[in-house]
Amino acid sequence: MLEVENLSAGYDGLQVLWDVSLRVRTGEFVALLGPNGAGKSTALRVIAGLLRPTAGSVKFAGNSLAGLRPAEISRAGIRLITEDSNLFLAMSVYENLLLGAYTLRHRKRIDERMEMAFALFPVLKERRKQLAGTLSGGERKMLGLARALMARPKLFLVDEPSLGLAPRIMMSVFEALQSMNRQGMTVVLVEQNVNATLSIANRAYLLERGRIVLEGESGVLRNNTQIQESYLGLS
Amino acid sequence: MDGWALWDLFLTGLLRGGLYALMALGLSLVFGVINIPQFAHGEFYMLGAYFAYFAFFTLGSTPMVAILLAGAAGFAAGALIEKALFGPLRKRGGADWVMNTFLVTIGLSFVLQNGALALWGANFRGITGYWSGSLRLGSSMSIPLDRVAGFGLAIGAILAFWLFLGRTRTGRAIRAVAQDETGAALLGIEPNRIRNLAFALSTMLAAIAGGSLLSLNPAHPAMGSEALFKSWFVVILSGLGSVGAAIPGGFLVGILETFGSYFFGSVWQDCVSISIIILILLFRPNGLFASDVRGIWER
Repeated sequence: MLEVENLSAGYDGLQVLWDVSLRVRTGEFVALLGPNGAGKSTALRVIAGLLRPTAGSVKFAGNSLAGLRPAEISRAGIRLITEDSNLFLAMSVYENLLLGAYTLRHRKRIDERMEMAFALFPVLKERRKQLAGTLSGGERKMLGLARALMARPKLFLVDEPSLGLAPRIMMSVFEALQSMNRQGMTVVLVEQNVNATLSIANRAYLLERGRIVLEGESGVLRNNTQIQESYLGLS
Repeated sequence: MDGWALWDLFLTGLLRGGLYALMALGLSLVFGVINIPQFAHGEFYMLGAYFAYFAFFTLGSTPMVAILLAGAAGFAAGALIEKALFGPLRKRGGADWVMNTFLVTIGLSFVLQNGALALWGANFRGITGYWSGSLRLGSSMSIPLDRVAGFGLAIGAILAFWLFLGRTRTGRAIRAVAQDETGAALLGIEPNRIRNLAFALSTMLAAIAGGSLLSLNPAHPAMGSEALFKSWFVVILSGLGSVGAAIPGGFLVGILETFGSYFFGSVWQDCVSISIIILILLFRPNGLFASDVRGIWER
């Protein structure tokens, strides 16, 4: 579904990604792991079109995404949920969700999706008239996910949903991701929390200093000595 | 002075304020969504007056049609100018955007003013009135029907615009781009298209204002400056870029001016209203209705 080949990218002459290649099959849950500053978020930004690569290519469902604007990539079925969710803070939860369904025209379908989002995140239903800026950190993450869900994207790119969340709330966000994946959506999750991520992802890539250093099935990676020593604190 | 005189003054101020609010609405929309300090806003007011004049006087259309035509022409002119000037400027990089666009709008204002001068000459082109007759309000005051209709049109345009921005899919997208451009793009909204639309809508509102006041302010190449300054007073007083605040702000400035000219003479009206605005800004430097939350309703 998603093929990233030999991607290099950076900001203002500072190269962040070096020759990164990724493959994500339809229906998979893939994690992108690695320490701070490894280039995980940068990789997602390039796929979503927010940053132009200096070399390499990104293909989605067989079509090249080169030169497409972020809005075009979004309409093609890829939705990036950024670290801070880029919510419309001065709008209500309800309006944020409506904007998530901006590309939909049918009122009925929008209402259906809204119900689905509320079923997945009941707290948003309670808060639907509140301004997004008044939500707590966890609720904001949920709104970010729910808003992206409104258009039923084929591919979800999720950037560090656990950042700054209490463990219990983090788990409920992860569970939501898992249930979206079970409903048939392909998910690419960027995370620093290696242990929790490996327990829900099918496969993972390990990124260090802008390069892919390891890839494989979650179960295999969990038993990998390098991962155990550097990320799981086992030895 | 008695209560009735006060009431008359208040009404006059309200009528004036409607126009100011309409002008300021477009100005704060452009600042809120595209971050352009628009100093050519008065020229679109001027264009609106000319378009309405030609439609009403030369082509002989009905007043409503003339004003709507002026609005449509203002929309088209704005869309074209945004595409030709600000779109390319944005592509070259957003550094010093506010300063650069400020200078571009000043240049644009010169070009439009002198273009109108070259095209239509320096003569005043006015009409005696769209509608004849007058309305009796209050004690002894009778207000020309035109004035009332102009006010009604301004209020109608403000309401329609308000509903559009608040209730429609496109209006929501405009607010989304104002609050978080990246977030909007990630949802499939094209920020460039929205910016173009916002600019065109603002020039449309200015053109409607110019068109509906044609009988009071005849079309003239330099007529835009005063309208521009007044709408900037409103925007600065009510808080930069806050679309919602421009409406009460417009009425406030209108009322301040009427009272100023009544008590101190009409020569002093600007002096009085600006002094009061300065006084208010001394205590609320971000404007009367400014708040910390970003977004064009609140910002």
